Amino acid sequence: MFKLILKMAWKNSFLRLSRTILVLIMIAVSMSMMLAIEGLYDGMAENMINKNKRSESGDISIYAKDYRINKEIKHFIKDALPLKREIENIKSVQAVILRVNAEGLASTARKSSFASLNGIDVNAEEKFGKFSEFLHEGEIDVSKRGALVGIELAKTLKLHIGSKIIFSTQDTHGEINSIALKVKGIIQTTNIKLDTSAIFIDIKNMYKLLDITNATASQISIMSEDTQLLELLKQKYPQLDVKSFLELQPMMKMMQDMMFIFNSITFFIVMLVVFVGILGVMYVSILDRVREFGIMRGIGMAYKHIRIQIILESVILAFTGYIFGAIFGILFLLYLGEYGLDLSSFADALESFGYETVLYASIKFSYFTNTFFAIMAASVLSAWLPLRKIKKLNPIEVIKAQI
Amino acid sequence: MFSLAFKNIVFYKGRSVATFLLTFISSILLIVYVSMMDGSHKSMLENALKIYTGAIEIYKKGYRDIGGNEYLLKDVETINKKLSHINGIETYTSRYETYALLSSKEYSTASMIAAIEPDKEAKLSSIKKALTQGVFLNTNSKNCFYMGEGLVKKLNIKLGDEVAFVGTASDDSFAANLFKLCGTFKTGSFEFDSTTAFVSKNYFDELMYAQNKASYISIKVNDLKNVDTINNQINSVLNDNSLESLTWKTLMKTMVEAMEVDSIFGYISLALFLIVIFFVIMIYGFVNISSRIKEFGVLESIGLSKINIFKLLFYEILILTSLAILVAMPLASYICYYYSINPIIIDGISDMYKEYGIVSDEIPFAFEPLRIFYNVLIIYLLNFLSILYPYYYIHTFTPLEASKHV
Repeated sequence: MFKLILKMAWKNSFLRLSRTILVLIMIAVSMSMMLAIEGLYDGMAENMINKNKRSESGDISIYAKDYRINKEIKHFIKDALPLKREIENIKSVQAVILRVNAEGLASTARKSSFASLNGIDVNAEEKFGKFSEFLHEGEIDVSKRGALVGIELAKTLKLHIGSKIIFSTQDTHGEINSIALKVKGIIQTTNIKLDTSAIFIDIKNMYKLLDITNATASQISIMSEDTQLLELLKQKYPQLDVKSFLELQPMMKMMQDMMFIFNSITFFIVMLVVFVGILGVMYVSILDRVREFGIMRGIGMAYKHIRIQIILESVILAFTGYIFGAIFGILFLLYLGEYGLDLSSFADALESFGYETVLYASIKFSYFTNTFFAIMAASVLSAWLPLRKIKKLNPIEVIKAQI
Repeated sequence: MFSLAFKNIVFYKGRSVATFLLTFISSILLIVYVSMMDGSHKSMLENALKIYTGAIEIYKKGYRDIGGNEYLLKDVETINKKLSHINGIETYTSRYETYALLSSKEYSTASMIAAIEPDKEAKLSSIKKALTQGVFLNTNSKNCFYMGEGLVKKLNIKLGDEVAFVGTASDDSFAANLFKLCGTFKTGSFEFDSTTAFVSKNYFDELMYAQNKASYISIKVNDLKNVDTINNQINSVLNDNSLESLTWKTLMKTMVEAMEVDSIFGYISLALFLIVIFFVIMIYGFVNISSRIKEFGVLESIGLSKINIFKLLFYEILILTSLAILVAMPLASYICYYYSINPIIIDGISDMYKEYGIVSDEIPFAFEPLRIFYNVLIIYLLNFLSILYPYYYIHTFTPLEASKHV
């Protein structure tokens, strides 16, 4: 019996071909567009978070207690080197790095600007967050007096490869010290703070400039996927300020939440309209065949079998639409994941806001599963109203009726 | 034909209600969403212009790209005289900006020092209104700093404390002096407040050998809409190839681009909603048409032309769309108007996005009747497009086939 019902449902689904094709196009177009937008927005947020982690805070960062409020040398971590070794010995830790940061004035022959000098170990940074991937122009070279400059700072100071800059800041004794640097590379991290103000130099030059020992650091950054590590470090080092990435960058968390809310609202509205579309088609499709259903009831077919047939028709229609939508959606997402959405004509704005000029989409399995359940639910629900109509039918009156 | 269309609308209630509701929803969505986008962009721009950037600024060519003392405006008084004859300019002032190192007893930091004409500046920007402690500058202020709160915090100083200034004068000589903190301000712009200190231009000109010189002249216009016309007048009055007069559209290119990008994403999302709704309206129209094939066959048989059938469909969608818009437009307009006067406030949003230059928690809507009218036209256009396929479908039947259609 079920085989017969399935066969009838299948044939009826494509009985009015133009109508069916319109519904399939509606589902496929709306679903693929929605998936592309969802993937693009997720991709933007994920890319930003990933690069922010790799370029600065890692999964966890450790500072001396008052450093984040007063960024002074006296608030640096004094025993950072032994601490680093200790943390490296924790099994779940993937990488640990030390950074020394100082704020001051960066000047060229013609321009000056507020800047932040970051002493880094290039090899350790490479292991920590593939630092070389942030290179926008030039080369990663901080040997001698080489410096890497954030892309926005380079624009402000009109710097290019080979430009000379003087950075002045206060050393550990409160004296103003300066260092002459040569720009070897321009860096784009998509971390606004770094892109607009950072100058990266060799950490050894930083020790000399600030007159501090190599055991000192302003920040210890840790890469680890271990979710328990944060609590462990907080307990182990209560005298230090141990923070997770999202605690340090609440804006990223908010951005992620906003993307989620926006995608959820879009998803809900689109699925609601898709539901209305399927409902309309199903309703008319049932009304067109009221006599047919009356005859079926008249020759003894149980209502439950008619119900299964109508639900199956709706599901077949929605599922076929879903398949097309999923295919187009995957194609869109693959294209946007590989080639991205090129917005380089708005480069200035995007870069100053910490975005890349080409936005790449991410693909998640959940996009397809969520949409599948939503479309299936919409299809089953859309059969409910026509079914109520069928249930109330009197077979004799229906057979007599002229539709 | 019109009355027949009206009768059809009343007769096919299901399709009429669905089309009405979907058109109503899409109209509200489009008008309100666009109003919110435009309003928030306008507010961002106005806030930025209010703080410091002028609607028009006059530079010596090369100052913005290369910078340095040789690109300072050298004869400010002459330019000021020329500007005084141009209609539409509310006020103007010259500014001298330089970067310098400031040191308190304990701390040093880099800062932008802006020498301003305090009386004129008070009319042009919101710097004076942003006063939080102490006093604003006046023309006779001597070695007084009016400093952003963020900068004050960095230097760890309070009113009356001394700050050492070390910089380069306009003749490239070394300049140094002791200043006192006379007042503090908070504009809400995170970067501006933590890097900027103002000083009276009269006093600073002596220190920097910058009499009759300026980095640029900032201009406020009576009406922002006329900014391009006024800028053209300025260019012709100045008649000097070594100078450039730029409007906010160039000065704030980054912000303008950012708003464009934001609009692009907004319109992409809107397009998704409108396309889905368009399809559903078309499907309802098509389903309705396909159940009336026989009726159209009979109408054609008694002499109705294809054009008349198109007219019938057109009138049906016109009436339904107009009815929906008649309800949606006043409602959406009221929402836009209400929120343009009483902006939505999201507490903490400016603090959260301070690095992005967001200075207010308010999200005002824009109430622009012409914009609402254009959006209504888009809805009409989409609904008219939705009858094309159903019409084409009817067109494929001959009158005989149509009248026999079951």
